[in-house]
Amino acid sequence: MSEASLSAAMSEEAEVEAAAAALAALLAPAAGAAARAGAAEAAAALSGTAAGRRLLAARPEALAALAALAAEPGAGAAAAAARRCLVNVSAEPAARGALLAALPALLPLLPGGAGCGLLANVCREPAAARRVLRALRQRGPGLAPLLEALRGPAPPPPELGPLLCNLSQVPEGRRGLLDRSRCSVQRLLPFTQYKDSAVHRRGIVGALRNCCFEHEHHEWLLSDEVDVLPFLLLPLAGPEEFPEEEMERLPADLQYLPQDKQREEEPDIRKMLLEAIMLLTATKAGRHVVREKGAYLILRELHRWERDPDVLSACEKLIQVLIGDEPGPGMENLLEVSVPEEVEQQLQRLDREEDERRRREQAEQREAQACPEELAP
Amino acid sequence: MAEAGAGGEAPRYRGGFNEDTWEQELEAIPMFMKRCPAEIDAARQPELACLQSLLFDEERSPAELARLYKNEGNEYFREKDYRKAVISYTEGLRKKCEDPELRAMLHTNRAAAQAHLGNYRSALNDAIQARKLKPTHLKAIIRGALCHLELKNFSEAIAWCEEGLQIDSKEKKLVEVRAKADKLKRAEERDARKAKVMERKEQCQKESLLAAIKERNIKVVLEPSNEEEEMSDGLAEMSLDGFHSDNAMGAKVHLDADGNLNWPVLFLYPEHEQTDFIAAFHENTRFIDHLMVMFAELPPWDLERKYLPDSLELYFEDEEKAEMYEVNPEHTLLQVLQHQRYFVKAGTPTVLAFVKHSPFSKKYFSSKKVHRL
Repeated sequence: MSEASLSAAMSEEAEVEAAAAALAALLAPAAGAAARAGAAEAAAALSGTAAGRRLLAARPEALAALAALAAEPGAGAAAAAARRCLVNVSAEPAARGALLAALPALLPLLPGGAGCGLLANVCREPAAARRVLRALRQRGPGLAPLLEALRGPAPPPPELGPLLCNLSQVPEGRRGLLDRSRCSVQRLLPFTQYKDSAVHRRGIVGALRNCCFEHEHHEWLLSDEVDVLPFLLLPLAGPEEFPEEEMERLPADLQYLPQDKQREEEPDIRKMLLEAIMLLTATKAGRHVVREKGAYLILRELHRWERDPDVLSACEKLIQVLIGDEPGPGMENLLEVSVPEEVEQQLQRLDREEDERRRREQAEQREAQACPEELAP
Repeated sequence: MAEAGAGGEAPRYRGGFNEDTWEQELEAIPMFMKRCPAEIDAARQPELACLQSLLFDEERSPAELARLYKNEGNEYFREKDYRKAVISYTEGLRKKCEDPELRAMLHTNRAAAQAHLGNYRSALNDAIQARKLKPTHLKAIIRGALCHLELKNFSEAIAWCEEGLQIDSKEKKLVEVRAKADKLKRAEERDARKAKVMERKEQCQKESLLAAIKERNIKVVLEPSNEEEEMSDGLAEMSLDGFHSDNAMGAKVHLDADGNLNWPVLFLYPEHEQTDFIAAFHENTRFIDHLMVMFAELPPWDLERKYLPDSLELYFEDEEKAEMYEVNPEHTLLQVLQHQRYFVKAGTPTVLAFVKHSPFSKKYFSSKKVHRL
């Protein structure tokens, strides 16, 4: 790099620095309402591009000022612009530190959509999730305001699901959701069928799946106090009619479904539901309950209807567990079984080979479909 | 005591208890009463009546009186005398004291007593009143939720629990009742879905039945339907409502798994004023096959022992024209039903049976036109 271009680059950098500092100053309360509003709008516009986001992400003082503005009561449009900007910037990993530092200012935004959205992004990283949970607990109510937002009557913000999902990736988050003394996880259940937002629904199902990793809670989750299984099976069930003896075996929520019943349309959500049920079958007791409640019937019909190969594979594996023989003694809790290293590696290799084979088959199928078109006159 | 009496009479003092009835006498003294008597008779228990009037003196403030009645009610409640408890609480409320907290408690306690008596509506009203006086009164909210649960108002039960949980999100009973109400609500929704499915199935079955009858060109006499009812298109000749099955056994024509109709058929024997009823006569079976079974043994009313399967003649009556048509026993039911002049009445095909060449049958046919085979 020549000296001229180097100094040009450096002065550009210095200009940007200066601009960023000016932005931070303009966002401060001392700047006055109009200036702040303008600065917030400018920042929001800046956050619309990847470069702009990276720029802002690297300026903690600007982010702190935006955070202070975002939650300020009475700041109106300026606060809304600040919120928009922060949500965009929160997608940048580089912004995480500054946003976490600004948590006291950001937490009051909950359970609003912007607050949920930006914290959901921040909490993608487990350590950040832990910090947010700690901060929520220190403020007092913990997850309660988030769960309250699920209760209604207003529809919850679509970003709430992803936030709960990301918080549940750490044990502290799961503990908050699995609090038996409150009505917590129960509030998530109706949303496994929430039509109004796939984003929210995906988050909720993800959170439930994560909760299913806590196998000491399986018995409680499967009991009448929570009754998680019907809510996991319902999105997987279709309008197919069952003969009377089969119908009576199903849980009440799955009986006599109307003819226009539709299955979950997002394949990744279907897969997460199956994974959640699979986790519940880790213990012998859990397997027993899942079998008793006729899960196999729903899965059998799903298997007939399913086209997505990943979901089909998950479905087959779960069916195998339900209809297969019980594992021998010492293997009662599959989550706790220690697999010897070589066996583990071999199993992983087999998994990879199976994936490869499936991908090849898919590719061949697609080619086969393409050919006739080419041959047509 | 015994030892003292051994040497001679024990020294007696005046007003002492009688040896045999000392327990009852002790019970009569207000101070030693374990339970309040049901009625206080001022004449026989003057001390008790006196105490009562002291306690419930109208000169006391309404709040004090209300409190006394509340305590009295609580006592009865503890003894499981819920009826008396309700009365006490009611008296307390009638004092119209100004303390909303106290009134809320009286309402809540009365609600509990009413609930124990099974008067869930009254209990609910009290719970509602209690909440109006003190919206954060958790006991009232719990009681109200439980009442709604008993009254099968599951949505309201859940709503009350949610409102209570907003006040105390860890209230154990509320979490419990909410779970229970939710489960019952979902069961209720299932029942509604089931009813719908069953209705649809039934409707479907009715339609295929009528379609089968129409397909076979079997003519049916309808019950007169309501004048207001318009005959729908398609099945205009046979509206679902007009096709009643009216026989003593309540049997109905049905479509079996093979798509064949099975009819309830009535056999009349005018000579002896007797009948036979076949609940499910498969349309492709022949009359003679049934007669062989029905008359395998001679019926008790056949004193002259004439009713043998081969000696019988079968007829159906065309009521409109008052004419008789002979039926070939070798024919199936379907063949007979498809006869031009055959009309099924009251959903139950009817045939008349006579002994061949019998004087009775001659007499019976004398006044009618008979179409023989």
